[in-house]
Amino acid sequence: MRPIVEFTRVTREYGSRIALDDVCLTLEPGELTFLVGPSGAGKTTLLKLINREIRPTSGEVWVDGIPAHRLKTHRVSDLRRRVGVVFQDFKLLPRLTTIENVALALQVGDLRISDGEAMDRALDALEAVGLGDRGKAFPHQLSGGQQQRVAVARAVVAQPPLLIADEPTGNLDLDTAWEMMDLFRDIAAWGTSVLIATHNVEIVTRLQRRVVTLVQGRLVRDQPAGAIGRMAWLASS
Amino acid sequence: MAGILVRARFPRRRLVQIVIANLFRYLFRGAARNWARNISSTAPALGSMALLLVLLGLVGLTGIALYNLDQVESGQASILHVYISDGADPAGVAALRERLSSDPRIASIGYTSKAEALQRAQSIPGLPELAGASDSNPFPASFDVQVKKIDDVAAIDAMVRNDIAVDAMYPTSYDRGAYQRIQTVLFGLGVAGFAFLSLLGFVAVTVTINSIRAAIIARRDEVMIMQLVGAPRWMVRGPFVVEGAITGALAGGLAGLVTFGLAAAGIEAAAGSFNQFAPGITITVAAIVSLVVFGVGLGLGSGSSLISIRRHLES
Repeated sequence: MRPIVEFTRVTREYGSRIALDDVCLTLEPGELTFLVGPSGAGKTTLLKLINREIRPTSGEVWVDGIPAHRLKTHRVSDLRRRVGVVFQDFKLLPRLTTIENVALALQVGDLRISDGEAMDRALDALEAVGLGDRGKAFPHQLSGGQQQRVAVARAVVAQPPLLIADEPTGNLDLDTAWEMMDLFRDIAAWGTSVLIATHNVEIVTRLQRRVVTLVQGRLVRDQPAGAIGRMAWLASS
Repeated sequence: MAGILVRARFPRRRLVQIVIANLFRYLFRGAARNWARNISSTAPALGSMALLLVLLGLVGLTGIALYNLDQVESGQASILHVYISDGADPAGVAALRERLSSDPRIASIGYTSKAEALQRAQSIPGLPELAGASDSNPFPASFDVQVKKIDDVAAIDAMVRNDIAVDAMYPTSYDRGAYQRIQTVLFGLGVAGFAFLSLLGFVAVTVTINSIRAAIIARRDEVMIMQLVGAPRWMVRGPFVVEGAITGALAGGLAGLVTFGLAAAGIEAAAGSFNQFAPGITITVAAIVSLVVFGVGLGLGSGSSLISIRRHLES
């Protein structure tokens, strides 16, 4: 089966600073993977390379068969429709209701989807994250955990093959963070690859999933699921 | 139990309706909503552009009037009056007419008798007193020669001024420098008008670019989110272009109305003399200029938005 993400000797420099250094990495479909490392290790840079917010200085980045490293600007949206993204600060549109925020992700990708169909599917996604009854609420009327759930619903509503999350529990209390992790586990179980950049050691160690560790831009460890232990401290640095 | 396979046509019409509705919502309804929401930041651009477009309309009307004036002047300058001596022999006059008629450079020849010249002079301010000061009719008879090309007027003048039938004191109406002076003045006005319009255009584009830039900055998060959820470029940029077009259309519409109103008021107020100082400016011409002003506003608004988006909206 083709990997959903494939990094081949990827280096990314910002001026004289090397953010990622000769990274090789593959993610398989349906895999839940944690990306850990101290601040400035290159986690966000790696996620941005997947979502083609930036290009690598050298090396190749393939996402679901699309060469992100040489993707033309006008084709970037094709790639992004295959990648759901969840941010630490949710990034919901404040003037849209919850259900409209989720439906937006569907309709920007496919104009053939009618309002009715978009709303139905958005409601399904909201129900899947436990917010089926809050569709008409605006983001500011929701708690942080609820807003993050909406962001997850928006990220998966179009059923992308890959979901990336940058510190998704960073603004949440521990209980809510665990609820989010349950959600990510379910999403991975549905067949979507999930890559989560996090500092949360407890979650990483207890979930016993694959952990990729970056330090100063280098991939220093790639532990398979069920073998987490000694290096988990790196996430908390 | 066996089922029945029903083959139905794909509902293409419904699909087209959905796509059009979505396009309308993202491009136009969203843009109109954003435009209304940002009216406070758009108002200065709208006002400046409307003012500039009014000036454009007035300069345009002035340009048309000057062009028509140029046409009138060049038409008059190509008519050469050949004054006939009072004591000229009729045979000489006939011979002169024959010479002129046979010249291929001449389009037509008219004849004004002394009586007709006097009558014409009496309708021109100042000349009746001159006519009355003399016992006899001081105005000569003339051949009114319409020359095909204005450049040939000097040659025709040179050909006839020494003719025996032509008045020796004032042989013709030819004034060597008159037409050239008018041309020089009109050319100067044209250049000045063009420079002025270019400056206005530059200011209008700059003002609109800044207005759209402000809108982009105010909605930077929204734009980023749209891009991150996979919105194609046209869907992110389109509403800004439409917003610029709305600003331009409103400014153009307002300026067009003001231009038309001013022109109509001018025509109405000076119905008798308006055509003398602004030849060719009619209600129809004013309406056309107003429509052009509207079109220029629309183009300026959307064009400036495009430039601003290219500069300030990252992909």
